[in-house]
Amino acid sequence: MTRYKELDPLLHSQLRLAVMSVLMNSESAEFTFIKEQTGATAGNLSIQITKLKEAGYIKVQKKFRGNYPQTLCRITQLGRERFEAYVDSLRDYIK
Amino acid sequence: MENNEKIMSSEESLKIISDMINRTKTNIREASFHLLFWGWLIVVCSLSEYLLYTLTSMENPWLAWLLTIPGVFVSLIYGFVKGSKQTVYTYADRLYMWSWLGFLFAAIILFVFLGFEKRMYAVGPYILMLAAFPTFLSGVIIKFRPLIFGGISIWILSLVCFFAGPSIGPLAVPAAMITGYLIPGYMIKNNGFKNDTV
Repeated sequence: MTRYKELDPLLHSQLRLAVMSVLMNSESAEFTFIKEQTGATAGNLSIQITKLKEAGYIKVQKKFRGNYPQTLCRITQLGRERFEAYVDSLRDYIK
Repeated sequence: MENNEKIMSSEESLKIISDMINRTKTNIREASFHLLFWGWLIVVCSLSEYLLYTLTSMENPWLAWLLTIPGVFVSLIYGFVKGSKQTVYTYADRLYMWSWLGFLFAAIILFVFLGFEKRMYAVGPYILMLAAFPTFLSGVIIKFRPLIFGGISIWILSLVCFFAGPSIGPLAVPAAMITGYLIPGYMIKNNGFKNDTV
């Protein structure tokens, strides 16, 4: 019997997975860009980003561009490894 | 994307991943500005030099190339303003930017060498040889064949420029700008190109 790897519960969620996918392909992305791409509300996105940050999957940096606050997100090495492991597990499920 | 704790199938997960990665592909439509700006600027400089050389007795027709100095500032300011408004920065963006800045550094060194040796009239084939590389590399990064072929055409025309002699050779420069910068530049501008076209 095939033993399936358990899917990372932190990544196995629509919005968090979408955020991680955006960040996997970017060096950095602004909160507004992620919100635009995922179609999420600011509140919900903020909660999910905090969860990913607390798990050490992403880094969040607050800056100012002119007079406007800017939130920049970047994926960490741990986040990258977990994302790759998640994709590997998905492949096993599909096989 | 609100119901984020809903149980997903493997297929749904993969679809989310692929959708999001597609959305963050480098959009280099802005790059058409640099291709068109430099394409036209070099066409003007090289044709001016050629006409000054063939129709007048001017001692230093290469002075027409001095127009590229304000061109560098226009390009850098445009890049800085656009970059400061960018909300996502991909690895391809970084590679794209540095390949062109690398070309700029190499071109400055070339101008210093040739200026020092008082051989500025011979700049054509060398500048083309250098310019072909970021053009070719940019085409590979964004998977856009007209830019890849544009880079190759510039390399070929640098040979023409070098070997064809002073009467025809200089015309290889504007020809290279048309095939290497202007044609791909207008294709990108008019099609709103994203790097998933190839």
